[in-house]
Amino acid sequence: MAKPRIEVLDKEEVLEIHERSLNIISRVGVKIEHEEALKLLYSIGANVDFSKRIAKIPEYIVREALKRTPSCVRLYHRDGKQYIELYGWNTYFVVGSAAYYYMDLRNEVRRPLSKDLADVAKVTDYLPNTHLMSTALVPADISEVLADRWRMYVVMKNCSKPIDTGAFTMEGVPDAAKLMAAVVGEENISKKPFMIFAVCSSPPLKWSALTTQNLMDCARYGIPAHIIPMPQTGGTAPATLAGAIVQANTEFLAGLVIAQFTKPGAPIVYSGSPTVFDQRFATSCTGYIEVSLISAATSQLAKFYGIPSGCYTMVSDAKIVDTQSSLETAFGAMISVLAGINMAIGSGMLLEENCISLIKLAIDDDIAGSALRFAKGIHVDIETVAERVIEEIGPGGLFLKHRHTRDWWRKEHFIPRLFDKRTTDMWRKGGSKDLNTAAREYIEKILKEHTPEPLPPDIEKTLSEVIKGIAKKYGIEKLPEV
Amino acid sequence: MVNLNKEDLLNRLKEATINGDSDEVARLSKKVIELGIDPLEAVEKALVKGVIELGDKWISGEVFISDIIAAADAMKAGLSILKSEIIKRGKSIKYLGRIVIGTVEGDIHDIGKSIVAALLEASGFEVIDLGIDVPPQKFIEAIRQYNPDVIGMSALMTTTMLKQRETIEAIKQAGLRDRVKIVVGGAPTTEEWAGEIGADGWAPDAISAVELVKRLLNIV
Repeated sequence: MAKPRIEVLDKEEVLEIHERSLNIISRVGVKIEHEEALKLLYSIGANVDFSKRIAKIPEYIVREALKRTPSCVRLYHRDGKQYIELYGWNTYFVVGSAAYYYMDLRNEVRRPLSKDLADVAKVTDYLPNTHLMSTALVPADISEVLADRWRMYVVMKNCSKPIDTGAFTMEGVPDAAKLMAAVVGEENISKKPFMIFAVCSSPPLKWSALTTQNLMDCARYGIPAHIIPMPQTGGTAPATLAGAIVQANTEFLAGLVIAQFTKPGAPIVYSGSPTVFDQRFATSCTGYIEVSLISAATSQLAKFYGIPSGCYTMVSDAKIVDTQSSLETAFGAMISVLAGINMAIGSGMLLEENCISLIKLAIDDDIAGSALRFAKGIHVDIETVAERVIEEIGPGGLFLKHRHTRDWWRKEHFIPRLFDKRTTDMWRKGGSKDLNTAAREYIEKILKEHTPEPLPPDIEKTLSEVIKGIAKKYGIEKLPEV
Repeated sequence: MVNLNKEDLLNRLKEATINGDSDEVARLSKKVIELGIDPLEAVEKALVKGVIELGDKWISGEVFISDIIAAADAMKAGLSILKSEIIKRGKSIKYLGRIVIGTVEGDIHDIGKSIVAALLEASGFEVIDLGIDVPPQKFIEAIRQYNPDVIGMSALMTTTMLKQRETIEAIKQAGLRDRVKIVVGGAPTTEEWAGEIGADGWAPDAISAVELVKRLLNIV
């Protein structure tokens, strides 16, 4: 069965990008603002200039790191039973993470409260085609020193799905491990991880102290991490797509070496958030179609290395939820499934990855469902070619009444929740609502009627004690209600 | 099956109707007669109720139109078995009304008309479906034979919609126009068209068609 798939690089091109990256990582090197990581790299044979903090990593070390990397990453649901596998050509859709702004249901863009994050978690818990929640918002009603871990707590309480998160602090990952242990037990932090950490390199060719620390901590705990190079074509990366890809790949490989030599077998995903730096407005754009080309190339490189992939593909540069926001996201979704990107990240996101809208999230869920259906392709067998049925019904007959229709229609089609398929008259009688209005009402209904599976009371109590203990370190006694 | 009581049997009959399982409905309907259960009760509480429940579910988006059509067919399979028994007992089934429906002469489009018929059945009407390519004379005979409350005519082409006018004229000439309400529908038709040809009503889709028929027959 032919599955619809795309490749944007041929085999030689993939190899060339890989080899150019190896040249750059060994000759130019990568700047790593982290003493311990530099020492580690030095100890394994890298050429390290400690004063400039630049490590030049020879090819054989990169090859060894690639060998140590698992080809499949499992992410569990909070209950430790269901899981998803980042592997092969599977695509899972992920809510965009760490937005500083929230577009509420009245379309007002404002700083979010913890309650808003809880709402995003509840809605995501319900949406059928959005598989991973994220610590989507940075709430304004909690001190910034605690915001990263507080988000995790809010989301763990209100959503049962795996969580894409990240730390803004050096102690972020160890504290997150405490929160995870409260839910699944210490022994399951690495065995049944329900969180994956985003760790970003800083283009060009740099790793910050914070993200290097987070990456090494994740490796030590066995918590999955996705490494996110963020090449900006014509800004912090070459304007040429191939050049941006080579640079991003080099940064990824540097991170991979650090992780795999911190702890062999660390679960790593090759992720990314490429952007186009628009020379007209000096903006960093996520919705350019070239971003999708880079994303697809990233996935190809990840497959070449045998490592799961991810990319910020469900994003848009639109300022409101409109045609542009849906079009850019739909391109991203289709390319994600066609390129076999395992984590298609960014559902619900607007404004240069800085705003989450629940209305966009609901629409993106229909987009994701449509793309996933397309990727499944056409199922051809004796039953589906339906020769027997066509013969039975004959010329001028009606398939509507046939058992085959009832058996297969539902199986063959993705039924969108929001895209309107009614008659014009039915639509008018329903109030002539546009997509945004339908999405808003859908969200309101979910928020009113859906209750995510609550944590067992004892676990909830322990979890709440853990977050209170973490808060106390900063002298924070009062936490928002969620 | 041996210890099946009436309530169980009617529940199973309703379930089989909802599942659109004509064979099972026929089998259980025979059982109804065998066990001496009131066939009218079986029709009203199991067959009709099952289809009506499904119709409500379609409107709320829970089931598909093909499910309704299958259920309506299953209901008919049961009716054909129970009807004679009902008549034997000197009773009759109470419907909301009787509708004769068909696609006009020269037009072989089945789907729209069949959906309207199934939804009318799912709403509690008795529907006599004359099929497709129905000449005016056949509509006239149906009025004489079945004495329906409403005639429904479907046309899917601009060329065949003219037959709706022709059929109404023929009904008038036969002196039967005041005996029935006439409704028309189909993609090229409009409310203006319906008025122009002297129909009593027009509906743009199947749900509206059911509402229209209820309105014409003063059913709330």
